[in-house]
Amino acid sequence: MDVTFKVHRYDPATDDEGQLQTYILDTEESATVLDALMRIREEQDSTLAFRGTCRTGFCGDCTMRISRRNRIACHTTVAGALRDGEITVEPIDLINVAKDMMYDMEAMVYSKYRAVEPWIEPGEPQPEREHIVPNEVIQDLRKVMSCTMCWLCDEGCTTMVVDKTFLGPAALTKAYRVIADPRDSRTMERLNKLSEAHGMWDCCHCFEASEHCPKAIDPTERIFALRNRAIKVNAGSPKVRNHYRSFAASVKADGWLDEARLAIETEGLSNVKGQLKQLPLALKALQRGKRPMPYILHKKRPGADKIKDIFEKWEKSS
Amino acid sequence: MPEHDVVVVGGGFAGMRAAIAAKSAGAEVALVSKVHPLRSHSSGAHSGINAALGAEDSWQSHAHDTIVAGDYLSDQDAVEILCQEGIQDVIRLEHMGVIFSRDGQGRIDLMPFAASSRPRTCYVGDSAGHIILQVLYEQLLRLQVQTYDEWFVTSLLIADGVCQGAIAQELSTGRLQPLYARAVVLATGGLGRMYQPSTSAYTSTADGVALAYRAGAPLVDMEMVQYHPTTLKGRGTVITEAARGEGAYLVNKDGDRFMASYAPERMEMAPRDVCCRAIETEIAAGRGMESVRGGQGRERVERHDDCVFLDFRHLDPQRMDDRLPETQLLAKNLAGIDIKKDLVPVQPAMHRPIGGIQINVDGATDIPGLYAVGECACVGVHGANRLGGNSLLDSIVFGRRAGDAAATYTRATPSQRASQSLLEDQERRVQELAARSGGKDTVGSLRLELALTMHQKVGIYRSRVGLREAIEKVNELKGRYARVAISSAGGAYNPSLSAFLELGNMLDVAQVIVASALARQESRGAHYRTDFPQRDDASWLKHTIASYTPDRPSLAYKPVVITQWQPSDPS
Repeated sequence: MDVTFKVHRYDPATDDEGQLQTYILDTEESATVLDALMRIREEQDSTLAFRGTCRTGFCGDCTMRISRRNRIACHTTVAGALRDGEITVEPIDLINVAKDMMYDMEAMVYSKYRAVEPWIEPGEPQPEREHIVPNEVIQDLRKVMSCTMCWLCDEGCTTMVVDKTFLGPAALTKAYRVIADPRDSRTMERLNKLSEAHGMWDCCHCFEASEHCPKAIDPTERIFALRNRAIKVNAGSPKVRNHYRSFAASVKADGWLDEARLAIETEGLSNVKGQLKQLPLALKALQRGKRPMPYILHKKRPGADKIKDIFEKWEKSS
Repeated sequence: MPEHDVVVVGGGFAGMRAAIAAKSAGAEVALVSKVHPLRSHSSGAHSGINAALGAEDSWQSHAHDTIVAGDYLSDQDAVEILCQEGIQDVIRLEHMGVIFSRDGQGRIDLMPFAASSRPRTCYVGDSAGHIILQVLYEQLLRLQVQTYDEWFVTSLLIADGVCQGAIAQELSTGRLQPLYARAVVLATGGLGRMYQPSTSAYTSTADGVALAYRAGAPLVDMEMVQYHPTTLKGRGTVITEAARGEGAYLVNKDGDRFMASYAPERMEMAPRDVCCRAIETEIAAGRGMESVRGGQGRERVERHDDCVFLDFRHLDPQRMDDRLPETQLLAKNLAGIDIKKDLVPVQPAMHRPIGGIQINVDGATDIPGLYAVGECACVGVHGANRLGGNSLLDSIVFGRRAGDAAATYTRATPSQRASQSLLEDQERRVQELAARSGGKDTVGSLRLELALTMHQKVGIYRSRVGLREAIEKVNELKGRYARVAISSAGGAYNPSLSAFLELGNMLDVAQVIVASALARQESRGAHYRTDFPQRDDASWLKHTIASYTPDRPSLAYKPVVITQWQPSDPS
């Protein structure tokens, strides 16, 4: 059947902006969009540039916006992508386009990947044979490493929209891969680094990364796991840890957040300078009717005991 | 101008392993690849890597299985190295960070694989390739190996008979650039794009094989082309051998486990060549499911769409989630099939060349300074039929050895710089190409004709008549190729030139495959001649050596190295 493909073309040497070029291809519905693009290149237009190697969903190189949905082109059939007799093929938004469907991967993708130093560094001399590792740990790592680096999670990330220097869920998931690996010895150093600005604490837990992942790796949960680990081993800035602990303690105790207590405990009780810095903010809040009363006056919300139960259950299980 | 001790061409297992070894040995190394290393096709090697790690196992047993599966065409000195050193190399992979699946004690678990006498395959669920590729790349970063990502090598720099680097097109700019080096290691992988159906990536286009061949390095045993018995109907996507290792059945349209008629003892665990012929025979006898697509459609050829089935339905669903998660995902996404409930339509597809650039056990070719390793090379371990799980081992063991040897070679070799005129010749050639006025043939139409010819006539079953037709067809395609025009060659990310050169590489190597297959008048391993159905040790226990001449390959032969396993009677 004849299918109309509208494919993004852009040549930095001649074009100010990209535009869609129309190709008509006689193709079967069961073919994938990547198959179709390859045939267009081979039979109609040898200059059409796009990435895509393995044809089977392992190389992660054919991430595209196909008929307005972010997809992996080799796992998207023509039948599945057809909208009103045509298929549009456009770049995803996040990464700059160097030509047609070729992204500038270095700036947004590979540099972040390298930034987490994603190789394990054994602390002790290597054993003569393999390391003894429980299969459950291996299974968890395998899930994480099934990541093909398609960067759809970064594309969905809402923090990335406002801060392109955010490490992003893909690189953070790669960081999880080394930190969760029992053979690695640099946990503390890695967690300290991830705790810096534009690192794991900049995730705003919108869960879009997990929604976007075609391999169900759940990057958002991986970021949470990294944060929990950092809290557990006292990595990163004490302020962040104070904030995290105070937040949890406050909700556990009263069923909701005591903002005044959070502000004070985040700075640290003995940190007089820090506490003084909070004063103008507190006064302003008072002025505007937000009234952060001293936390002794904070009231429990109705049903707080049930919330406390949830906390205790979770603490027991983890 | 970039200048390095060692330039590795190709970023899959073999290339990265060679680069890691050469760098660790103190050489200054660069790795050039036409795709980013993480996108290399090694990630498609789902199954695993063999090593005699089991308490009951021995490297001798592994070697024996390898040689028997290879139908005694293996060079046994190389097999001994593979199976002995492979054990430590697999442990090294684990130390680098590979997360091999574990047994109850937390040790590397071993899976039974077809034609192996013991469970011997280290695996990572059903995605060993994808995981090992990532770990090797992690190590590449750790060692700070310089990479030239998305550079396409167009030719080798050979001066005074010595390899002194390569010329490559930097795809992001379109410029041709020389990469000077004291040693070059070719690790460019396979050639599956010259077959259809094939399990290969778009990028498997015989590049390294053709570069070495045209530069004067001989190719060996190119007629040995392995098919994978179980690939998704119509797509060539591999359903891993681990599926049969886990107990999946091969059944025909009547639901019979037909392997009982072909290999009653081993059944589905018979060697790949045996399974492929069994499936083709079932289909030819009308016991396969016939094409539902009918007689039209561009890629429809005789039997192309006919298939048998893999049956997983009797397997434990929970265990399948652990062992075959990726297989389930791709069957669902590519064919809409839930393998726990439905039969999976499968057919054999071209999988891996067993022959390649002739190398010694240190990866050295016949050209000083030129090394080769992995799927583009042939050290002789796979004989006439490769054992599943041995390919990764080959690339890891001989990748390491080639990297070491190249580093050693560079220490004794002064820096040389091939003359500028070689680069100017290339640039002139590209300008001529771009100025050519072409006919109606395109790179795509010629490639498809080639791929269908190779599958039909140089596939699982071969005959003198078919092979002669194939030779004529390939020669005709070469003639037409010489008149194909490319609209433009330069500019940022213009794939025109690389696609054109890839086709040229495939045509040159196809000529060698067909000529070698026509000459070998016997059936051995993956090479099955309907007109010579028996193995013939008296005349053909020898390797085919093909050397470049402008018109056609010139063929010669060399003996097989036999150390301790004498050929037994063909079964």
